Amino acid sequence: MSVIRETDLPGIGRKFLMDTEEGDRFIVIVHEDGKREMFCPSPVEPEELMRVVTLTDTEARQLGGIVGGMNYQPTALEKAEHTLDHLSIEWYKLRRGARAIGRSIGELKIRENTGTVVIASIESAHKQTISPGPEYVLGEGMTLVLAGERQNIQTLKRMLEVGEA
Amino acid sequence: MDHMVFEVGVAVLLIALAGFLSAKLRFSVVPFYILAGMAVGPHAPHFGLIDLRFIHSAELINFMGRLGVIFLLFYLGLEFSVGRLAKAGKSIAIGGTIYIGINFTLGLLFGFLCGFPVLETLVIAGITTISSSAIVAKVLVDLKRTANPETEMILGIIMFEDVFLAVYLSILSGLLLSGATTLGGVLLSAGIALGYMLLVLIVGRLLVPVLNKILGVSSNEIFLTTIFAMLFMVAGFSETIHVAEAIGALLVGLVLAETKHMHRIEKAILPFRDFFGALFFFSFGLTIDPLSLKGNAVWLAIGAVVLTIIGNYTAGMLAGRSGKLSPKASSNVGLTIVSRGEFSIIMANLGAAGGLMAILQPFAAIYVLILAVLGPFLTKESAMVHRIVSKMIPMKARSSGDKLQ
Repeated sequence: MSVIRETDLPGIGRKFLMDTEEGDRFIVIVHEDGKREMFCPSPVEPEELMRVVTLTDTEARQLGGIVGGMNYQPTALEKAEHTLDHLSIEWYKLRRGARAIGRSIGELKIRENTGTVVIASIESAHKQTISPGPEYVLGEGMTLVLAGERQNIQTLKRMLEVGEA
Repeated sequence: MDHMVFEVGVAVLLIALAGFLSAKLRFSVVPFYILAGMAVGPHAPHFGLIDLRFIHSAELINFMGRLGVIFLLFYLGLEFSVGRLAKAGKSIAIGGTIYIGINFTLGLLFGFLCGFPVLETLVIAGITTISSSAIVAKVLVDLKRTANPETEMILGIIMFEDVFLAVYLSILSGLLLSGATTLGGVLLSAGIALGYMLLVLIVGRLLVPVLNKILGVSSNEIFLTTIFAMLFMVAGFSETIHVAEAIGALLVGLVLAETKHMHRIEKAILPFRDFFGALFFFSFGLTIDPLSLKGNAVWLAIGAVVLTIIGNYTAGMLAGRSGKLSPKASSNVGLTIVSRGEFSIIMANLGAAGGLMAILQPFAAIYVLILAVLGPFLTKESAMVHRIVSKMIPMKARSSGDKLQ
């Protein structure tokens, strides 16, 4: 998750500044009258801001729904989450700073602690390991395919990220 | 007396027309209200029913303008959450101190050098120091600069100015309205004013739970009358102990801002602020005879305008540098906060209430008329101004840079 910086603009509204993982900067101004404006650095002069779009309150909600994937799930994600009753399979990417980086599956006692299994790990576009064993060491940027009950997968993700279940 | 409603109707029509004109020209509405008021008055003609002299209704319009000041300051108090101020704290303190330090000093110097007595000088410094929050916020939105990094600093300075305004208004109203002449008398009245303000704030704070309960009524009518009763009672009572009504209104706003009904109050009061506020600017204009606008008042105002622009630009550059903004962004700070409007007029009005020299009002009117129009223009053309200024004094900047090394 990217860090979003919030600032009060007294008399105008509230400013949200987001630096995305891809390195883009994005600023949203929520005006007190409900208007939304979005800005990004100008491609010609990075110091100047360029207004991307101005939206009414209703339009902003519509756009929020689209961006949030409420109307349409991207196919990549649709495949990423198959739920059979409570059982599900999820894709999870290990981001920089995750506690589990550098430790092995056995060391983390993933199955004992959470009741879930890592069924595959995608290390790069060309390299993947199917059913990694307990000696398998997790690294930054890997995408793990996790299987188990939905609730347990949440526990596991938390464990991988911050080190506690 | 018979045509009172009609006369007020004519006044409101003029105000509405001025509003339309300002919207059409995309300028701040304040100078247009003042101009509309100046255009009519005892010197204006009258045709049958339409009496543009406003002789009979002047008193009533003046009274509604007074209510306008009360609503303006009440709203300012409402918007002013202590929590927000504490959060912004340090970031606004530096820029704000630089700004007030430079511009208030310049204002005082200007008053003294032009040979005004102390009280007049204090009012002049007040008129020239406080930017117009309304114009600045509007210009920033219009020019799509809300997301810019310097905007946070600009609004921080404005917030700091609002605090300064509140404190300064209360001190000044103590000095002016009590009529104290000896040092002891002045200190006493200032002490009473300060003690009263603290008392209202402390008692108000203790009453917040009670107010929360009382204001929880579902009827909008009862809600509004309760608010108005508090507002007018406290503001009116303040006047009796020589604290400006405006300060009383501000205090009620500050107290009510702490209740959970803050947003409902804001919503309910906004139309009153806009309507009576407009009447205030109109009635201010009404007191000024345009034919009297010559000689001293004009030159004074022009001198003050020049000084304000220089002072604000310098303060902006320094504040911007302290906030690690680029030179271009820093110059935007100074050129955005030069706009003057509602608060300068309130200051001048206080001077009139205190029976100070009559020149203050035409001075303030011309000063505000110029800067309410020139301010947004300078903001818009800030890039050009910055280019010109940096061309004019590039040597200075470089040589001071050399010294630092």
